[in-house]
Amino acid sequence: MSDYNAVSTVEAPGKSRTLAGDAWLDLRSRKVFWIAAVLVVVILVMAFWPSLFTSVDPRDCLLARKHAGASGGALFGYDFQGCDVYAKTVYGARDSIVVSVSATLVAGLIGLVVGLLAGYFGGWLDALLSRFVDVMLAIPFLLGAIVLAKRLSADPQSNGIVAVIVTLGVLGWTTAARVMRSAVIEAKNQDYVTAARMLGASPARLMLRHILPNAFGPFIVVLTVLLGINIAGEATLSYLGVGLKGDAISWGLAIAEAGPYARTAAGPLVWPSVFLAATVLAFIMLGDAVRDAFDPKLR
Amino acid sequence: MPGKSPWKMAAGAAAIVLLAAGCSGSTSEDTESLPNSISIGIVEPSSLVPSNTVEANGSQVLASLFYPLVRFDAKGAPYPVAAQSITADKQKRVWTVKLRPGFTFSNGEPVTADNYVNAWNYGAYGPHAQDASYFFKRIDGYADLQGKDADGDGPQKPGEPKAKEMRGLKKVDNLTFRVTLTEGFAGWASVMGYDAFYPLPKAAFSGEGELKKDFGEAPIGNGPFKIKGKWEHDEKIVVEQVADFKGTVPKVAAITWKIYQDLGAQYADLVAGNLDVETKIPIESLGSASGDLGNRLGKSPSSAFHFVGFPVYEQKYKNPDVRRALSMAINRGEMTDQVFLGAETPANGFVSPVVNGARPNACGEACEYNPTKARQLYTAADGPKDIKITYNVDGGHKAWVDAMCNQIKASLGINCTGVGEPKLKTLLDKVRAKQDVGLIRLAWTMDYPLMESYLGPLFTSDGSSNYYGYKNSTFDSLVRQGSAATDTAQAVKLWREAEDILVKDMPVLPLRFGQNVFGYSERVTDVTMDPFQKVDIYAIDIAG
Repeated sequence: MSDYNAVSTVEAPGKSRTLAGDAWLDLRSRKVFWIAAVLVVVILVMAFWPSLFTSVDPRDCLLARKHAGASGGALFGYDFQGCDVYAKTVYGARDSIVVSVSATLVAGLIGLVVGLLAGYFGGWLDALLSRFVDVMLAIPFLLGAIVLAKRLSADPQSNGIVAVIVTLGVLGWTTAARVMRSAVIEAKNQDYVTAARMLGASPARLMLRHILPNAFGPFIVVLTVLLGINIAGEATLSYLGVGLKGDAISWGLAIAEAGPYARTAAGPLVWPSVFLAATVLAFIMLGDAVRDAFDPKLR
Repeated sequence: MPGKSPWKMAAGAAAIVLLAAGCSGSTSEDTESLPNSISIGIVEPSSLVPSNTVEANGSQVLASLFYPLVRFDAKGAPYPVAAQSITADKQKRVWTVKLRPGFTFSNGEPVTADNYVNAWNYGAYGPHAQDASYFFKRIDGYADLQGKDADGDGPQKPGEPKAKEMRGLKKVDNLTFRVTLTEGFAGWASVMGYDAFYPLPKAAFSGEGELKKDFGEAPIGNGPFKIKGKWEHDEKIVVEQVADFKGTVPKVAAITWKIYQDLGAQYADLVAGNLDVETKIPIESLGSASGDLGNRLGKSPSSAFHFVGFPVYEQKYKNPDVRRALSMAINRGEMTDQVFLGAETPANGFVSPVVNGARPNACGEACEYNPTKARQLYTAADGPKDIKITYNVDGGHKAWVDAMCNQIKASLGINCTGVGEPKLKTLLDKVRAKQDVGLIRLAWTMDYPLMESYLGPLFTSDGSSNYYGYKNSTFDSLVRQGSAATDTAQAVKLWREAEDILVKDMPVLPLRFGQNVFGYSERVTDVTMDPFQKVDIYAIDIAG
């Protein structure tokens, strides 16, 4: 990054240039980034304060209103059970986001540890961990997820949130680990790492203080994309009946419930699908934009 | 993939085989392409051994392979079919069955009294563990065929039974046998219409009282059809007419019972014209069915009774007022209209209206929707603030359980959640282990068209399906007296009195009575279904 406009920028002298700092400068000028960011912020607000968007209780359902059309109170009409589709869709954001963020954190943590160890130490440990990643990648996602989620959510009283988080986390860390590993390998051969080692820094200090901060950019990108994938994953599992259940309100559940009646009432199927697609798209677009910003070759 | 099912691929494969075999002059024929054959969709039966069949699908297939002793007229009264006459003594305790002469099994064996005696003894013998064994309970000597189980339902195997044959079951001559019951029961002729009472040929047995292991794969019966080849599991069962059948001859030459895993796929096949009859239109498709099928959509009453029970160990529901309040908090009519689109009817009693003696509004005020009164009663009785309804998720019950919960929430202002168990068995296991399950979803289909077929198994202290453990000795004795009554009017009177006790006690909440909602293709006509949820295979015909 040393050759990038280094001399001619109008920045105040003395301000240090980091990978993240450069990326931020680059991001600010991208339209896609802003669209995705606004969408993500709206969905996050919706997840944490659904009452800002609707005053209707999503669990207040009256059979008499079955499949009733849109009216003043209910923007998107009512579903089979006579629940407000708009309220249900708004409240559905919370479980989707909670599951997705937690699962991504689980996946990120596993990926970070595996990638860091494999990349830094190399040798037999790298070979072992990399083969393990290959094995994990060889498991078809849906098959593994259904088997795992089914076992974890055997208790009919639970709403399945923990089971889905564990399932998505355990099956989703492989890409993060691979990206982490290659970023670490790249960073550990840098001069400043060699210098730190010469000065007697311990492996732990080298990894945490010198390598990790510089390998973190690409890793964050993978996690952002993973957020979107996990939202879709939760919806898939809920749709297949092994995800959230019982009291939980989620887009996947709403889609599964509305699916069979799509021919008589499409609204309850379409709206959660639109929100789901928009959210996944927003996270993936955000991830894309951030990756482009982090990659000097694309500038 | 709607519409794509294994049998289609199998049919395709069979066609290729036929093509390949064509030039070698093979005589094998594809039954499905015969002009006079039809196909009816079913779900994989659990068994095709008559004494082990207690569900509608197996029962439906057996109805084509076997000829029952009695069938039922439109009013539910039995008339002899394979029997020439069925007579009883004054106390209705000793019954004499005379068989109609000249009948044979599809393998050529003549049908004799021995075939009935042997088959019933096989079914009643405890160690054979036949699911329909309880039908023989009334026959004198049944108890001696059951091994004593030292530790109840525990792991220890029960001991060897005292006898292998019921002493109440005696052959008189080749075509006559006598059944002696432990006590008089006026409805016994009706009971003998059930599958468990079909005869079995000598060829079915491998030794004294032992059935051949694979008999259920290709049962040999005394009915108008015989099985072609074998039961092709998860694919189909093909039956074709036997030559010179002595009883009522069906109008179609062959029936293919197509086995489906999914009602939705079955429905798609019906609409596409790949299937002639679907006996149960899935709820999700009811909205579009009249458009898809027009006048080829049929409805007829079935004997199914849907309810939720209160396990006796659930102390919070002990007060009958709590149970009555919950009953009045439910809008049954709205549920049947909105969730089932009129495919089921609200239950205002504990006995299906298809049965002689059932009253249209036995339950009265307690089963009528009245949220104000329900709330008053519930508050006064201090009912629980949070209730659960446990159901099995494999039966498509979620939609109505959720709807019922929403109604209870709205009427009583309490919280209500539906809890899904994977299978009915896991749910019942939890009830047996006295776990906190709340209300439990159950349903019942009659075994024979008598009020007792509901009151006995569901509500008497020793009833075979009284999972919630309801006990009321006055009720028990009324049901028993009704069974022993020598004439029908007296029996119905006593059974009605028994039902009135249920209305007071409300051990379960009656919810809905079922209906057969079926559809058929343009190829067939005269499709009717009986209250046992079976297609009448004698009436169905090819159109045109």
